[in-house]
Amino acid sequence: METRDLKPFHYIRPESLQEAGRYLASEEAVKLLGGGNTLLLQIRSGQESPDILLDVKHLPGFGDVRYHHNQGLKLGAAVNLQHLVVGLEIRRHYPLLHQTAQKLASPQVRNRATIGGTLAWASPISELAAAMLCYDAVCHTWSPRGHREIPLAEFYLGDYQTALARDEIITHVHLPPFPNRTYGIYHRQTVRHDGRRMIAGAAVLAYRKQQALTHWRIAVLGMDNRPKRIPDAEAVLEGTPGEAEIARALEIVQEQIHPADVDYARADYRRASLNALLKQAITEVIHHLQSIRS
Amino acid sequence: MKHHISFTINGQSMELTVLSHQTLLEVIRNDLRLTGAKHGCSTGECGACSVIMNGEVVNACMVLAPEVDGTDILTVEGLSDGEELHPLQKSFIDHHGVQCGYCAPGMLISAKALLSRTSRPHEEEIREALVGNLCRCGAYADIIKSIQVASRARR
Repeated sequence: METRDLKPFHYIRPESLQEAGRYLASEEAVKLLGGGNTLLLQIRSGQESPDILLDVKHLPGFGDVRYHHNQGLKLGAAVNLQHLVVGLEIRRHYPLLHQTAQKLASPQVRNRATIGGTLAWASPISELAAAMLCYDAVCHTWSPRGHREIPLAEFYLGDYQTALARDEIITHVHLPPFPNRTYGIYHRQTVRHDGRRMIAGAAVLAYRKQQALTHWRIAVLGMDNRPKRIPDAEAVLEGTPGEAEIARALEIVQEQIHPADVDYARADYRRASLNALLKQAITEVIHHLQSIRS
Repeated sequence: MKHHISFTINGQSMELTVLSHQTLLEVIRNDLRLTGAKHGCSTGECGACSVIMNGEVVNACMVLAPEVDGTDILTVEGLSDGEELHPLQKSFIDHHGVQCGYCAPGMLISAKALLSRTSRPHEEEIREALVGNLCRCGAYADIIKSIQVASRARR
């Protein structure tokens, strides 16, 4: 281990968005550094050879976590994923996010990985994205042209591409407030306990309004070139879904996914796995919400 | 690009000049000659290089040296109190938590981070805390037992 295994680059810690913007506008190959869990791997493998790494974790406001019952949750881009596991406001008001975060990678990785970095990496198997999609998350960004709000559902273009411009930075993510009677479940099947080798994953959320179950959200991952919601299936579940509606929703999901064969699971197996996980998640959400006393 | 960094490691203040592309693991092993943390996979999967940074366990191979400026680092060398081993270290010896030993420093660091949050963890909590530490000997059962016994003895 005497040799340094990363090719040389300049590490720079900008003090303002404007300073970061000047680097991003330069001719140099610039990469934003969050937790580095993916970027350092890419540099080691030679996939990326940046001139400059901009460590954006210390920019003003990037570490903020704020919850207000009328306004919802603001998560700074540099908040780490472990906060989603331990943060009281997350456990109390966004339990699906908490439950999903517990399953992400390992403590070592979660302590470093940032929310902004994880979302911007845009992995088709992003479990964080699936939970965030259920909570209608919106990415707030900055570029030299100003601020922008991009709903997460429009953020992913597929194949690790995002709606971010070259000189645009995620500053924070906003989740609207949800009623108390909201419940969500995330189920996944992976080969490994740390989440690597994803076969299928599904997040489901809804809330109860009087006797009706409404605001259904179904987000799937690993089934396409991006994590995505299936609004047509969500619509079928509105109201008081019974077995027929659940079956119809599952059918629609199957029509709208395109899983690929991977070396550890065939596409038809991944479809079957998703179907089972989703059915279980929907059934659990219904049972939980119907068991709450009115 | 060079950076002057100051930080605390195992309770000692330290000032160093590092390069942008050096990792924390390279600094502690090569510059500081603290060879407890091991170089394993370089991908953040194996946890052999685990250290505690500002109270949280991280993979030292995935932290850049300039990021260490102003932080507080604990490596496996900082666990014992002089010649007196940490209860976790004693327990790993007594209950065969060390087989070939390569993963042991990382396992001890993850266990230390767990016990500073949860003094009497359940087996499931111990397993969760060790998700990022691989043992290629497969000594997990003894490692978990070592941590359980140490947490009971600590009271």
